[in-house]
Amino acid sequence: MKQTDVFRWVSVVPVNLWLWLWVLLPTLMLVAVSFATREPEDLIEWTLTFDNYARLSDSLYITVFWDSLWLAGITALLCLAAGFPFAWWLTRLQPRWRALALFLIIIPFWTNSLIRTYAIKLILGKQGIINNVLLGIGVIDAPLDMLYTPGAVICGLVYILFPFMVLPLYSNLEKLDQSLLEAARDLGASRLQVLRKIVIPLTMPGIVAGVLIVFLPAMGMFYIADLLGGAKNLLLGNIIKNQFLSSMDWPFGSAISIAMIVLMGLLMLAYFQAAKRINRSGGIHDSTL
Amino acid sequence: MNMKKWWIALTLAGVSTLATAGEQVIVYNWSEYIPEDTLQKFKKETGIEVVYSTYESNETLYTKLKLMKGAGYDVVVPSTYYVSKMKKEGLLQKVDKAKLDNFKNLDPDLLNKPFDPNNDYSVPYLWGSTGIGINVRDIPEDSISGWQDFWNPKFKNQILLTDDVREVFHMALRIKGHSANTTDEAHIKEAYEYLKELMPNVRVFNSDAPGEPFLTGDVSLGMIWNGSVVQAQEDNTDIQYLYPKEGAVFWMDSFVIPAGAKNVENAHKFINYMLKAEVAKDCVDYVGYATPNKAGKALLDDETASNPTIFPDKETLDAGEFHNDVGDAVLIYDKYWQLLKAGK
Amino acid sequence: MIRLCKWVLVSGVFLYLYVPIAVLVVNGFNANKFGNYWGGFSLKWFDKLLNNQNLMDAAGHSLVVASTSATLATVLGALGAIALYRYRFRGKQFMGGLVFVEMMAPDIVLAIAFLLMFMALGVALGFWSLLIAHTTFCVPFTLITVYSRLNNFDVSVLDAARDLGATEWTAVRKVLLPMSAPALISGWLLSFTLSLDDVIISSFVSGPGYEILPIRVYSMVKLGISPEINVLAAIMLLLSLTLIVLSQWILNRK
Repeated sequence: MKQTDVFRWVSVVPVNLWLWLWVLLPTLMLVAVSFATREPEDLIEWTLTFDNYARLSDSLYITVFWDSLWLAGITALLCLAAGFPFAWWLTRLQPRWRALALFLIIIPFWTNSLIRTYAIKLILGKQGIINNVLLGIGVIDAPLDMLYTPGAVICGLVYILFPFMVLPLYSNLEKLDQSLLEAARDLGASRLQVLRKIVIPLTMPGIVAGVLIVFLPAMGMFYIADLLGGAKNLLLGNIIKNQFLSSMDWPFGSAISIAMIVLMGLLMLAYFQAAKRINRSGGIHDSTL
Repeated sequence: MNMKKWWIALTLAGVSTLATAGEQVIVYNWSEYIPEDTLQKFKKETGIEVVYSTYESNETLYTKLKLMKGAGYDVVVPSTYYVSKMKKEGLLQKVDKAKLDNFKNLDPDLLNKPFDPNNDYSVPYLWGSTGIGINVRDIPEDSISGWQDFWNPKFKNQILLTDDVREVFHMALRIKGHSANTTDEAHIKEAYEYLKELMPNVRVFNSDAPGEPFLTGDVSLGMIWNGSVVQAQEDNTDIQYLYPKEGAVFWMDSFVIPAGAKNVENAHKFINYMLKAEVAKDCVDYVGYATPNKAGKALLDDETASNPTIFPDKETLDAGEFHNDVGDAVLIYDKYWQLLKAGK
Repeated sequence: MIRLCKWVLVSGVFLYLYVPIAVLVVNGFNANKFGNYWGGFSLKWFDKLLNNQNLMDAAGHSLVVASTSATLATVLGALGAIALYRYRFRGKQFMGGLVFVEMMAPDIVLAIAFLLMFMALGVALGFWSLLIAHTTFCVPFTLITVYSRLNNFDVSVLDAARDLGATEWTAVRKVLLPMSAPALISGWLLSFTLSLDDVIISSFVSGPGYEILPIRVYSMVKLGISPEINVLAAIMLLLSLTLIVLSQWILNRK
């Protein structure tokens, strides 16, 4: 075997085997179970049914899906809005400080998220730090109700997921060629033009990666939302977990999971198609620059 | 060389879980639910090592044991109706009471509960209740007497409920005069309709220990566990506990032996040890919940033993209800629970 | 103006990240158990932590599992990213699909699937089962991070290297690997973080005798989280900060 082939084999085969064994196989099981019937004591009875999917058309699940999508979307957007300039700043640091700054970002996240959430509760609470400070300097007369609101949930989700946006963005922005930007400026492009026509198109893979890494996991997250938001709304994660752990309705839980994966997949595809079309009509290849 | 050392350490780490050196008993329980001291003393006395493993919810415990077909652990401590559920599904083995000299220490009032009528499968460890928590600084204690008061419109957006479908439905079912263990859809639906009226008053469904929101002043009224109140009072005596007149929720954590346990003999020794009067006393002092151990209760200092928050009288106990497994009706509860939360 | 915005943003982000951490560290030394006000300085939680062998063991296990699974996931993810970027092979899109499915799959589904698989394959629950599970859920994160870095990178550089007589392995080693270094570091850090925090999957695939920290912490909710955990977090924070400042100092001295 030639060396090229050896390396090709090494990079293609082990990952694929790993994914088949630990992802494909469980997914196939999941699909199979989603067409089975619930059995109270043995969990699953292998009688083919489509009921599990039919049940999904209930408006309840559509509401829940929409709520989860909305929450994950806002979280990803906010992470991007703060994460992009921040990652940009990181890449502009002298190389010797970059590693330090990178670590400073990630270190808080090595503390268990449950106790970090408790800390956030202490900050947002009625007698929490923010209220005390605001009352102290006389900005407000009565404590604000911040805990157990959608705002608190978003604050918490952004907090938990922020580095998942910054790190991929950073590793992508880092390779951006400075001379390209300077050249554009020399040619008379405004800062905004440079950003829109060069920086964003060139770092699109990083943006997409960051958004994926924040958005997809946020769809299933519910623990933090429950603690900070008071669990008054159901999220997809709650419903799926309940089907598996308390109702013991595995077929239905599987059907919800599959439906969620498929729907999100379709959304992604639609997005990429649209992005491709936009890219063709603009971006770096645009001759107007 | 370094690499090699690393791998050896890794392999050892992997193997150490398999090594079964000496006698042991594998206990699966909540974290810090048995004092470390007690486990050490047990080892000293019997030479049996306790391998203490933890879970974070009854649901996880149940599902894991179900998937592992009752193997892997020797003593498990499920709450209330998970005992009957696991028993029904053949996940448990009978406890041989002949091996438990100290079983006689238990209070007969707390045995033979509906989730295990003859205590053939379970031995009570600790018990407690979910009742009403009030911060008397904000709300006069005598203005509240039962669950019904939560519905008062003046508590708009102020009430804390536990994030537990059975406990929340318990309130409405009891107010409407039904058992909290009902499996009748009509009753559950009636409760749901009534709970819908409560929703504007709900500030939070609390999914962890419910004492903290009371302490931070975020809520002043709501459902709470009696143990949480005992803990919270160390810090703030304004937080009081009340048994609602419609009946509190009682729960009990019991020792059981899974069907596939490997060290059955040691499991019995362990349970028997935990039933000793002194040990039961230590556990109450450490955890803050009530012991069903009469002999152990006698050893407690007066203040604890006569604290009605920890040890309710028999009338209060009889007025409340232990939850039982509702079988397939769990689907009905879950359906209405989802509707309730989705605001439909 | 832009300067000002920059400093507002940067300090804002660091404040946002570190204020909660400061709160929880302070509460590790707060005599008041619940941390809702300052009850005086106390080392009692520190004392308690030192006597809590189970908790310390769990923390140690967590570090071992997190660092090994992050490393393994980075290797697998990087190989996968290179495969997707450099080679044509059958099932390429399918592989991308699997990565997507894995990121979307709810934790509880993965947890149950893993446990069933381990039982079917006879893998004892303990270090190895945790390692496999954690590696698996980290792979998509490393793969996506590395792939997005490679994605815009010009393939012709690699081909040029090959034309100049470099072997494939040399080309990868001298060109691709240094190129993707920041992404490898990012991916490793993300994986390490994910692994340290996972509770649902870990509770299903861990066995008696090899417990990790998150399970211990979540399992405390029944009685209320003990401030020992805060002290533990403070110690880990201090350790990692010292290590980083030290390494920074050594690097800068060179």
